[in-house]
Amino acid sequence: MARESFDKEVQLLRLLALAGGAYNRQQFAARLGISVHTYDKTMRYLKEMQSSLKQPLSPEQETELSDGLRYNYYESADPLLLFLFRAKSLKESESVRLSTILTVLQDQSLTAKELLDCCSETMSADYPSPDEKTIRGDLKYLEEVGVIVRTSDSRPFRYTAAIGLINELSDDELIDLYDYVDVMANTQVPSVQGYLLRDTLKKALRKRGFDPSAAETHLYKYHYHSRILDEAHLHTIHRAIRERRRIDFVYHAPRKGKNYAAKNTNPLFEREEQSQTQPLLPLRVIYDHQYGRWYLIGHTQRNAIAKFRMEGITQIEEGEVVSEEEFNRHLNTVERQMERSWVVDTLRTIKVVARFFNPERPGSNFIRERVEAQGQWGSITEESDESFLYTIMVNGIYEIKPWLRSFGSSCEVLEPAWLRKEFIAEWKEIQAHYEPVRKNI
Amino acid sequence: MNPFEKIFNYQMLSRLDESNAFALTTQERAWLKMLLSHQSAENAFTSDTLGKLRGLLADEAAADIRDIIIEKAKSREKHVYHPMLRSLRRIIAQGFGSYITYRLKHGGMRNQFGLPLKLEYSMVKREWYLLWYSPRSRMLMATKLDNLIAADAVELHADRAASLHRRASELLHNRKQQAVIEVVRMYNEELSRILYAFSCFDKTVSYDEQADLYHIHVTYPADEGEYLLSKIRFLGLRVRVAEGNYLKRRMWESSSKAIARYGIGE
Repeated sequence: MARESFDKEVQLLRLLALAGGAYNRQQFAARLGISVHTYDKTMRYLKEMQSSLKQPLSPEQETELSDGLRYNYYESADPLLLFLFRAKSLKESESVRLSTILTVLQDQSLTAKELLDCCSETMSADYPSPDEKTIRGDLKYLEEVGVIVRTSDSRPFRYTAAIGLINELSDDELIDLYDYVDVMANTQVPSVQGYLLRDTLKKALRKRGFDPSAAETHLYKYHYHSRILDEAHLHTIHRAIRERRRIDFVYHAPRKGKNYAAKNTNPLFEREEQSQTQPLLPLRVIYDHQYGRWYLIGHTQRNAIAKFRMEGITQIEEGEVVSEEEFNRHLNTVERQMERSWVVDTLRTIKVVARFFNPERPGSNFIRERVEAQGQWGSITEESDESFLYTIMVNGIYEIKPWLRSFGSSCEVLEPAWLRKEFIAEWKEIQAHYEPVRKNI
Repeated sequence: MNPFEKIFNYQMLSRLDESNAFALTTQERAWLKMLLSHQSAENAFTSDTLGKLRGLLADEAAADIRDIIIEKAKSREKHVYHPMLRSLRRIIAQGFGSYITYRLKHGGMRNQFGLPLKLEYSMVKREWYLLWYSPRSRMLMATKLDNLIAADAVELHADRAASLHRRASELLHNRKQQAVIEVVRMYNEELSRILYAFSCFDKTVSYDEQADLYHIHVTYPADEGEYLLSKIRFLGLRVRVAEGNYLKRRMWESSSKAIARYGIGE
């Protein structure tokens, strides 16, 4: 059986999160490059998942899923998109068996034989009684993912649930742990595993009698919610990088409009229409805090640095291993070239100088604070009481330009001259657009 | 390590819920171990608890996935975990009021009674705030934890707590503003990044197929108008404020002022 891929779900959820409400079924399907039938089927699955997870939804979120995923900022910090990672398919009988095993192992350690008896007793008659081989297979899986541990070194092995992290902690300590996981999952990358852990700890608090609202004391503004979808590929890439392994994948440039192409099962149409698979030696992953987007950076066989938006990557396959020497050589090149990238740009390095104006109102100097906090490796020189200079050597200007522009009239570009001209032209155009507003003031 | 595991499956999860059982995987423990090495762990736990946690995680693999990640354009972190979070979150969870002592912007300090509502972390400023309701000024307050000197819990009568909460949530609700941002059609090719830039707001998108025009309908708290404006300026000519007089006026003001900065008269 082919490995289950979640590319379709990732793309669909991303489109819902980004452009929620904008498209009807046909338009959605067309943009995803799938049939309306497949769209409906995937939506049904997602809805089923959402309702069975009983995520507490606010009235605003309860609108149809197809209208998009909306966040009411003040209601909850639960990441709605996390349910993507709950999508792995599982036979009903298997989920019953695994949860039965885990339940009986919560507070005791048992052997496979004892578990077999337990399962036969406790499992509903609607499901076939498992045999010993099945139970051993289940135990192997549960041990592999780490949810159970062996408690003895000699046969017959005894197993118990690996929940010391919950059981060994006092109520107060559990609250501290929940909070820490909540804070770190929300403020650091990567965060999917943290959010999964947060879910479990939240339940542990509930079980100990804490009001669910007691878990909702923190808010985070603002999150790029779809960032966690891209973590779907992160672990595959991490393994490839660790093993110095090339990967192949199909890339859909986000600009082209179609985010996913169904794999054609008809051999007559086997040819990939969208994009070629790209053999790439993955080197680093970049997270861009300005948009909440991820990039994969690697080395192509045509001997060049290549950058891919993580969201366009589908159907990753692992390829051959390269030598340590080759990997390090390319990694050094990438690190050198990207040292001065505002995000990922590797164009020629340019000196940018800008004058920033302190706020006219007395009080905190939020302009200065923002430049100091976000100006990356740029340097600040004092100029006068009204202003200061900011200088940076940066690869290309395309990535830093929006940041400079976001300061509005508090930033005046001095160098390079052509960038200064561009800013003047843009502000003129913006002013012209809003000119009619002035007449209404 | 693959986040798509059978053990995370939604049916699995709801069955475990029903039987009050827990499943903790190696992945989650490895993630926690990785993040306990962050310096902010010292502020989040007593040293006993931290020692206990590290002991419980001692056997987990130490591979750090962050080794392959480079973070760009990140705001410098003032702090991730503030030492006062622990006591404040308990006051909030218990529904207590508090005598709040804080430093004022222009020097000096103030002490007044208030109802702590939430602890808020700004991903932009990378620091924590306490959101609280001040009955004296009938206002919602946001105080940087760095400016907070003390917050002593005060037990409240249930009726009093309920009425304070009601007033606070009314104020929160009344602060909501709406605006419509239009994606300039010429830049539809860049729709993805434009939508990403606005994906941090509470918003919906509408699309007029005939005109091939996208509108982003943003709901935002009134005091976040400046942040929304900085996003609009960030995108430059790609977007325009279609509805929202305050935002339009501010865009006109900042473009006019910017032009003046460059020494060009009107």
